[in-house]
Amino acid sequence: MKYHPTPRLCLVALLLATAATLEGALTAGGTAYTKRFETNLLAEPAPLAAVAGKVSFGRKLAIQEARGAWLRVSDGPAAGWVFAGNLSETKPAEGKGLDGLGLNASSTTATAAARPLTPAADDYAARRNLTNARDDLNWLIALCATVTPQQVESFLQEQKKGEFQ
Amino acid sequence: MNRRILCLSFAALLTAPAGFALDLGGLSKALGNTEKLTKTLDTAKSAGQMLKGVAGIGPEEEKLIGESVALEIVGKYGGLVRDDAIMQRVNLVGRGLALYSARPELEWRFGVLDSDTVNAFSAPSGYVFITRGLYAMADNDDTLAAILGHEIAHITGKHALGIIARGEFLSGATSLAAARSEEVRRVDTQLKTFDLGVSQVTKTLFEKGFDPQTEYAADVSGRQLAITTGYAPGGLRAVLSRLQRTPAGQQKIFSTHPPLAERIKRLPSDTAALPSGATTKSSEATHDTPAAKAAPEVDDDDRAFAEEAEKPKKRGKN
Repeated sequence: MKYHPTPRLCLVALLLATAATLEGALTAGGTAYTKRFETNLLAEPAPLAAVAGKVSFGRKLAIQEARGAWLRVSDGPAAGWVFAGNLSETKPAEGKGLDGLGLNASSTTATAAARPLTPAADDYAARRNLTNARDDLNWLIALCATVTPQQVESFLQEQKKGEFQ
Repeated sequence: MNRRILCLSFAALLTAPAGFALDLGGLSKALGNTEKLTKTLDTAKSAGQMLKGVAGIGPEEEKLIGESVALEIVGKYGGLVRDDAIMQRVNLVGRGLALYSARPELEWRFGVLDSDTVNAFSAPSGYVFITRGLYAMADNDDTLAAILGHEIAHITGKHALGIIARGEFLSGATSLAAARSEEVRRVDTQLKTFDLGVSQVTKTLFEKGFDPQTEYAADVSGRQLAITTGYAPGGLRAVLSRLQRTPAGQQKIFSTHPPLAERIKRLPSDTAALPSGATTKSSEATHDTPAAKAAPEVDDDDRAFAEEAEKPKKRGKN
């Protein structure tokens, strides 16, 4: 039997789907999630404003107000402004760094970033005759570790990117 | 089959958050588990199972898979360009984008492959590679950000991990990640299984590419990331259009991606999709970068690198 949904029911389906989409958008009245180990809540919608509070990874925030690319959010009594790019519409899945430690203790540290390939990857390279590639990749890892988060932030500031737009 | 149930269950599917959508079997059962409903939800169910598989890949597994895939990419495409200025530019632009991506806490690393071909690749856990041929075309940060944004989207979307999850080789990877190097050598079967999983990814990356829908999704998501970060909305369109105008060697350009015309056609309008707070300012300001200085004008250079595409590398291969 061929199925023909009635227009009314399809409209209901469409409205429900639209509502879900809107709920996910970063707009006033909606919700957002933090996606970094630590997210600053700022006193003003400006990147260099005073820090009014901090929220940890994966917290669900209520969006109270949107002003341009900035959102005023609250997490219980804590409230402040966050650049929209620092928040996620959906709950982030991972709460641990790549080495299984908490984010603060793992991938965010310079020491972790400078770690060469894992022994298992070394073995893979040997097995697959990729020793030159292994050396290149270890070089890349070491070089990337020299680019600090502060340098990235300075670059964004100079170029007027991210929250410095 | 009750039409109302079918229609509402479809609506429920659309409105459900991703995690909930995994329990499609339960939803189907609750609604009577009819044949028609099952058929209607089939595609989404498959997607749910894949997501469930990806969710089962932990950080350690992702890191090992990512490193192994990255080794294959670097090995196949002539090693890495060891130029400090280029590396600095690619990593500053790339890390700036990654900061606002869905997975800012990954160890993001951006490298330039010493190859004249025009392509870009990514590997799980944060490795992004762009070939020298494509880098030469990224003559301003807007276009570079568009290219890197697309690859970042593949990683945040865990597209390569999806291939592996479907391949069901995960148990081998899990054991490998936990094992010490000496022990790993003794686990021959697991090694073969693991290598098979990595080869599934590299086969996709090097030969057939991700399916077109995945690529289009990465275009949209990567473009949005670039816009959020403050780069011009038209960056991706500009680089794709430039590639499209290349007179020869089209088949060697982004050969593992869908046709350029189709990708351009599917991009959202550059004037209608500005996010709150973002401006088109950066499109007017081409940054004075090493690539901007080095990149010749479009037409001459396009012809040159199309002819040079796929030539043997100057560096030794692995």
